[in-house]
Amino acid sequence: MQQFSVHKIGPEIKIAGIDLSFTNASLFMVISALTILLFLFLGTKEKKIVPSKIQLIAEMFYSFVAKMINDTAGSKAKPYFPFIFSLFMFVLFCNMVGMLPYSFTVTSHIIVTLIMALFIFIAVTIIGFVKHGFKYLSIFVPSGVPAVLLPLITIIEIISYLSRPVSLSVRLFANMMAGHTMLKVFGGFVISLGFLGGWLPLGFSVALTGLEILVAFLQAYVFAILTCIYLNDALNLHH
Amino acid sequence: MTIPEDFKTRLKIAKSKLKNQVLSDGEKRGSFMGNAFKLGTELVAAVAVGTIIGFILDSWFDTKPWLIIIFFFLGAAAGILNVIRTAKQMQKEE
Repeated sequence: MQQFSVHKIGPEIKIAGIDLSFTNASLFMVISALTILLFLFLGTKEKKIVPSKIQLIAEMFYSFVAKMINDTAGSKAKPYFPFIFSLFMFVLFCNMVGMLPYSFTVTSHIIVTLIMALFIFIAVTIIGFVKHGFKYLSIFVPSGVPAVLLPLITIIEIISYLSRPVSLSVRLFANMMAGHTMLKVFGGFVISLGFLGGWLPLGFSVALTGLEILVAFLQAYVFAILTCIYLNDALNLHH
Repeated sequence: MTIPEDFKTRLKIAKSKLKNQVLSDGEKRGSFMGNAFKLGTELVAAVAVGTIIGFILDSWFDTKPWLIIIFFFLGAAAGILNVIRTAKQMQKEE
């Protein structure tokens, strides 16, 4: 579909045989990042005691993420607040910018979400090994399992650990892509049914747009909270 | 025009109370729906990863198709384990 196609903008850039050209996907990532910067800049420009609307929203985002980290990963995860906050804001704004007509949804491409998920996965694994050394491997060996079952359980645990980046990335990508495809399908119905029959799918389209905005927020939230949960496993080994 | 000091603090306390209330309500609803979305992919992802591991090991050891079958079931077990863990976490949060 046309809304998912990636095309180059400007000249082709190749470094060491790798195509690094600027595409419309890169453009919309830059737009999302700049929107976040602008929003937070405006939100923190005037530090009033009685906050203005934009300051209130910015503070709400801050306390929302701070509370989420504190509830799921405990106080030990405080140093990772900047990372999780930027992750949450980036996913949220990519999803929301994708809701605008004629825009491009960066998160509806699995390569984008997979890279983010793999980065989180590798980072969490490194954090776990740095904090606990080789004792970190004990998350693959649950306590209280009979010795006969231990090899089997360990393999299952390893598969379950390796499935984290897959489930994290596929969830975000599938939700965004399915939602946009559905909107497209209902939009197509409006055209093909014409003036007489097109009103029902048009109503559905409006309702689905509302649902999509909810999903866009929810998926950013789920992405961030799962990062917190994985971080919690790495920081507090026995829970 | 100056605002008296005690009014300022009272307003701040009231605002923070209001903000916390709104946040916790929204967060609760969000996390319920988030959990519901979570369960489905959790199961599928583990099965997919298990099968891929089986496929890779099969082509390493030339044992087609035994390892892919074994790892498919191990992946399914891991997926069910994931779902049980997520469900337990959901219960703990309540």
